[in-house]
Amino acid sequence: MLARLAKPAGAIALAIALIALVLLALGASPAGVFIALWQGAFGNWIAFTDSLVKATPLVFTGLAISVAFSAALWNIGADGQLVIGAIAAGAVGPFLGGWPRPLALTIVLIAGAIGGAWWSAICGWLRARRDTNEVISTIMLNFVAVQILSCTVHGPLMEASHAYPQSMRIAPSAEMYMFMPPTRLNLGMILALVLAIAMYLFLFRGEVGFQLRAMGINRRAANFFRIPIASLTIWTMALSGALAGIGGAVQVSAINHRLYEKISPGWGFEAIAVALVARLNPLGIVVAAIFFGALDNGSQAMQRAEGVSPVLVQVIQAVVILILLAFDTSAWGNIREVFSRAPVAATSIEGADA
Amino acid sequence: MAFDQVAFGRCCGRYTKTLKQEFSPYGKLARLLEAKCITRRFGRTLALDGVNFSARVGEIQALLGENGAGKTTLMKVLTGGVRPDAGAVELDGSPLPLGSPDAALRAGIAAVHQSPMLFERFSWEENLALGGFGRDGGGFGLQQIDLHAVVAKARALAHHLGFELPPPGAIIADRSVAERVRLEVLRALSFDPRVLILDEPTGVLAPNELTAFLDLLRRLRGEGRMVVLITHKLAEARAVADRITVLRGGRLVAETTPAESDESELARLMIGKVTIPPEQQVAPLANPATLLEIENLTYRSAGVTILDGISLRLGAGEIAGVAGVDGNGQAELVEVLAGARKATSGWFGVRGSDGSSMAVIPQDRDLDGLILEMALWENFLLPQPLRERMTRRGWLDVARAMELCRAALGAFRIRAAGPEALASSLSGGNRQRLEVARALTQNPRVIVAHNVTRGLDLVATADVHRTLLEFAADGGAVLLISSDLDELLAIASRLLVISRGKIHPTEPEDRSPERLGLLMAGRWSE
Repeated sequence: MLARLAKPAGAIALAIALIALVLLALGASPAGVFIALWQGAFGNWIAFTDSLVKATPLVFTGLAISVAFSAALWNIGADGQLVIGAIAAGAVGPFLGGWPRPLALTIVLIAGAIGGAWWSAICGWLRARRDTNEVISTIMLNFVAVQILSCTVHGPLMEASHAYPQSMRIAPSAEMYMFMPPTRLNLGMILALVLAIAMYLFLFRGEVGFQLRAMGINRRAANFFRIPIASLTIWTMALSGALAGIGGAVQVSAINHRLYEKISPGWGFEAIAVALVARLNPLGIVVAAIFFGALDNGSQAMQRAEGVSPVLVQVIQAVVILILLAFDTSAWGNIREVFSRAPVAATSIEGADA
Repeated sequence: MAFDQVAFGRCCGRYTKTLKQEFSPYGKLARLLEAKCITRRFGRTLALDGVNFSARVGEIQALLGENGAGKTTLMKVLTGGVRPDAGAVELDGSPLPLGSPDAALRAGIAAVHQSPMLFERFSWEENLALGGFGRDGGGFGLQQIDLHAVVAKARALAHHLGFELPPPGAIIADRSVAERVRLEVLRALSFDPRVLILDEPTGVLAPNELTAFLDLLRRLRGEGRMVVLITHKLAEARAVADRITVLRGGRLVAETTPAESDESELARLMIGKVTIPPEQQVAPLANPATLLEIENLTYRSAGVTILDGISLRLGAGEIAGVAGVDGNGQAELVEVLAGARKATSGWFGVRGSDGSSMAVIPQDRDLDGLILEMALWENFLLPQPLRERMTRRGWLDVARAMELCRAALGAFRIRAAGPEALASSLSGGNRQRLEVARALTQNPRVIVAHNVTRGLDLVATADVHRTLLEFAADGGAVLLISSDLDELLAIASRLLVISRGKIHPTEPEDRSPERLGLLMAGRWSE
């Protein structure tokens, strides 16, 4: 376990050293910037809880990526799946007034899961039955999802006053349980943790998870041993989308309370970095998501204190990812496989359909 | 790589002796292409062991050998694709740089490879333009390739060689196999090579196409090119070649001519001495119960019939050996029996049980049989029967699976760190033992094994054979599909031959390598 952590830790240390060089070149004090970053992310109770809140959607989308990538299904569409899940949650949320809160919350979350699941299952079906590269189909559906969100908040779901392009506020019973106001700490983070543990057990102790991983590592062998590749592809993509969709529902239920455009700043893409840094391990994803969430949260404090652009945080993230990929040969293998998979896919699909 | 000086010296001594003995009517240029003392090792296998080879102008040189004899490796050494550990390649007496495809091509050695190297979605003239046809304007530049000129040149060359080309713009994917082979030859000829090496180009040709193709080779010989034909088909080697070189197990076993050696002599040279089967064979039961039934099994893919009405009954205590040259449907038969492919028509089943009492060991253990990046205990859970046994309500019983795996590691003397070791950490022989152990752990009534000892050393081979013999002696049935005749003759109680997707029974008098070699080559009339 320690050995597994050594690589990410080393990558982060090297990234910090490189960033320090960049800061020196910019004339800023590296120590001051890092201290401000730390203070902004973990300096006090509010800052710490906000880092967790910012990490929450990254955990959901990170788990979505992890499940799909473990099966060698390159789902780049977690962002769109999160958006569709949010739309579903935002659509049912306003109509749950007067329902018991646990029931209303469950309905909102299930709506989000179903929304994300079928959106992603489209790409799974295309891959399994039509051998369509899911990298392309999931990327494309991201754009479609964003446009659907834009249409709904300007059209059918637009609030009654028609003042802003946003939906009606969800019913109070559909709002996530908040712990310890004024912090934004909510049940969503606990749900994310529980799902991370559940996904770990599913992947490494569950029979279906075993089949999914077998298919991900060696499709030919999986096919030879009668693992149902085609249906497993569709269900894995559905599960991946459901996780992202729950992330969207949690965001609507806990933070935004309504829909508006640009609900996601690109969590579904950042999640790919989160999942790769965690080497697809669901428990590692929680750690990686908190790291990325904290960076995001601390960047504003860093700007106030040191006058450094918050964009620098994106540089830090990029450097961490690049260094990690450069060190981690297995991650390189995964990336390479995306571009060289065609013949393997063709034979396995033929075998699965035959 | 340790260089064996003694062996090299001995080998080269022999070489100079033969050179002195031969007088060549062509003078200095007679022995044009020479490979001297080529040795190449891949991991633990010696693919080529001090092989001498030569080809001359105005001759077709056949290179004969079984699968794994080293033919393709030798060709790759000549064309620069593989760098030998020792030895030299000379053209007109001047040495070629080794391991450089570019140098080989510049020196005039072109090759037609065994697996097609054409771009499926390009038209034929675009494929040719990527070869030598588009390069006359001073190498690869940014200048536009004139496809019309390519078509015109190709047509002229094809006409000269006596065949027709498809209409311009025709996509490779739509063309027949014979046309593709001819296009590959044409592309190789576009470099105007002095040496043309063809690696089993005829394996995919129908008999009528074969005649035309052999005529083409003769015409190339007439142009003063050296032609090297790599094949394992005795008849075509004798029909077209001027000289025949036979490789077996990476060694040169004979240099002969069609006049000196008939087909049975060549078959014997190719296959080698077969040890008399020891008395370890299973005595057939008096009245064996049928365990495996295969009824008229047919498999077609993309319009090609790969398995053609296979019917077979396998009784308890029997090891049925299926001999055949690779690529005659063996892999597909195994995959259909494993359930990885669905038969087009026909039926098979294990008597008195569902399909789960059959264990299948595929030939490619690293790609099909094992998942190298998974732990040993996880590999044990790949076959459905074992996975179901180790699963409780959808959850894996990891402790039991590990215990099962540990027990098998001990029982089959598999050298591994433990059930949690990755399969990739095992040696080839231990990987194979693991597959056999896993198959037996399933408690099957029938084992289907394909090339189960390929690449194994003598000890590991004997281990696997003993295990299969014990399994049969205990009332199981084994379908042993193998391209290793020695193995089949040693342990199979009944022999069948697969050829072009059909299974033929053999008579007791066929139980010799010569007869089997002919049957495998599809010579049923004799």
